[in-house]
Amino acid sequence: MRLLTHNFLRSNVKGTENGYPLIIEVTTVRCEESPVDREFLLSLLPKVDYPALRSAVRQLGPHCDPPLPDLPEDMPWSDEDLTSLDDATISSLHRALFDVYLVEGYLVCPDTGRKFPVKDSIPNMILHEDEI
Amino acid sequence: MSLDATQQYTVLIEFVHKHLDFHNAELHSVLDMHGIRIGTDCHVQTLPIDGRSSEVRRPFKILSFPWSFIGCKFSVSDGDENTKREKCINLVTALSRCTLIRSVLELWGAGPTIDDCVESVQKGYYPRRHQEGKHLGIGDGAKKFEVRTWSILVHTLGSTYTREEQNDMRSAFSFLHLPGRVQMKDPDDEYLFIREVELDGQGGAVYPRHSGTNKQVIPENDARPPLACYFGRVLGNNGLGRNWRRSNRIEQYSLKKRCYLGPTSMDSELSLIMTNLAQIKPRGSFVFDPFVGTGSILLTAALRGAFCFGTDIDLRVLRGRNQDENISSNFKQFDLPPPELVRSDNAIYHRHFRHHLPLFDAIVTDPPYGIRAGARKSGSRKGGEVRPISDEHRYDHVAQTRPYAVSDVLSDLLNVAAMTLKMGGKLVYVIPAMSDFDERVDLPRHECLTLNYVCYQPLQTEYGRRTVTMTKIKEYDEKKRSEYVENTWVNGAESAEKVANIRERLIEAAKTKPGYEEKALRRKAIRKSTKETKKKAKRDAATKNATENAASTTDVPGDKGEAAAKDAAL
Repeated sequence: MRLLTHNFLRSNVKGTENGYPLIIEVTTVRCEESPVDREFLLSLLPKVDYPALRSAVRQLGPHCDPPLPDLPEDMPWSDEDLTSLDDATISSLHRALFDVYLVEGYLVCPDTGRKFPVKDSIPNMILHEDEI
Repeated sequence: MSLDATQQYTVLIEFVHKHLDFHNAELHSVLDMHGIRIGTDCHVQTLPIDGRSSEVRRPFKILSFPWSFIGCKFSVSDGDENTKREKCINLVTALSRCTLIRSVLELWGAGPTIDDCVESVQKGYYPRRHQEGKHLGIGDGAKKFEVRTWSILVHTLGSTYTREEQNDMRSAFSFLHLPGRVQMKDPDDEYLFIREVELDGQGGAVYPRHSGTNKQVIPENDARPPLACYFGRVLGNNGLGRNWRRSNRIEQYSLKKRCYLGPTSMDSELSLIMTNLAQIKPRGSFVFDPFVGTGSILLTAALRGAFCFGTDIDLRVLRGRNQDENISSNFKQFDLPPPELVRSDNAIYHRHFRHHLPLFDAIVTDPPYGIRAGARKSGSRKGGEVRPISDEHRYDHVAQTRPYAVSDVLSDLLNVAAMTLKMGGKLVYVIPAMSDFDERVDLPRHECLTLNYVCYQPLQTEYGRRTVTMTKIKEYDEKKRSEYVENTWVNGAESAEKVANIRERLIEAAKTKPGYEEKALRRKAIRKSTKETKKKAKRDAATKNATENAASTTDVPGDKGEAAAKDAAL
């Protein structure tokens, strides 16, 4: 699971109000470099919840090799400002969203503490019958 | 009808005689995604025909472009040099995306008979233009007309002609006086003469030239005039050639070449067509498959350049068999970045994912209809009261699932598509049906989605499947969710019922055929024998292993050890 997917996933257990963002418990992380596609990234960014991405990078960053640096606190979020992002910011955003995989670990619901296991890079978000 | 070549640049598209219902949809979709509009940028010409009326679908299409567009708005050169120019669309590159195109000709002439065809070439502008070297484009490296090697190939759909007979057809075009050398292999210019005859639904000739038994010419069929004749220069000579489907273009993606497969994997050809219907761009398309299964559809989407995201409720298919046989290994095989996979339930998509983000450019999927794989959704198996799961058992607990009615599968799919597609995004899905299915009233609908194409693929006489393409045209309104879902089936339960029990109905239909009982018995016997052979092989392997172990521990010399193993086996 890349952090892009983490940014969209939420906990859905019965009675959860918000269930977002999921806390990451890391067992194994894998990094794999991929070419930067600036246009694609810029089209996705307005849909990314930036505070959630930033906190995910802080949780996963130290486990990566080399460690992921923290993302800047403020990010211009309107469309015009996004196109003016410099290459260094773009590449750090790209690396955070696309190049880092949580291979083994858990995603933890911030409200209920329900743990969703991640195995072979596949998060298991399925609900048990008493949670529907 | 005569083609007025002085005013229009005409292109003949020859399709493979396969997936007939998809020809137009795929072509239109590909033209549309390259910004080529039929009606303004180009026109569809009627195919030449003499008095006969043809009920059969003909595997040809003629497109005409205003001359003024060629060389500025559109380029038809083989090389890539012209495509680099801004706003110039290379027709050859665009059309080469179509899976079902066999070849594309710059149509020099056409007519109901070979004489009409020759006359139309003589009258046309093309030979002169070619002589002047205008078609060569702006590339300086292009060879001059005088030294260009050439060949004329003859294509006689579904009927066979000897080399001499083909030569006769060729010689009709000797008036062109091409100055270069003849070269059959990779010539600079490839010309093609096509003699079209009436084809049946399977692509064979309706009036075959030779009898099937003794290969003798049937005189009355041979005397029948052709439906039409075409002559032109083949476009896309570099790499594509006369037969665009040659040179491994489709085969390299064949299912047979993949390391991970399942019974529900979609064949590569149809999924390539689906990626064209979904207009997946070479870069920056975000594609979603909510019933990803073995990832076969996503793989072709990734081959087109998409970033892929897939979910499924079945964890086993997502994980695959082992490290080397899973969805990601298939992607690795083609050197593609791994897709994003999540185990979740499409029935409650909105509870797994944040908000209702219009995220995806396309949703391409083959939902489960219970023919090969049954649909399941989260929930208690038996329904009713659910026993709570204690905390210590939470992580070992296997989530229960319950059957998921096909009508709900589709209404949820359409609703998720309406919710998560970007405006203008495409939903492409497959729906099976028996002959009683009426696509005008029985197809599921959604207020936010408009129907583009419905392509029928017959699988058996009474049974087939449709590939449906829809586009999002209206913003999704969460407040209207129940209204959307209720209005999915215009005919209500009746339509939903038609797609629901296809497996059962197929089995019922098979039972009424003569010889079903014997066939069933024979199949049962085969199954039993294969099962026993497997069991025996397993038993033998086990005993062999055991004796080998025993042999190695007692350190008996080789030959004696083998003898011991033989004894044990006996």
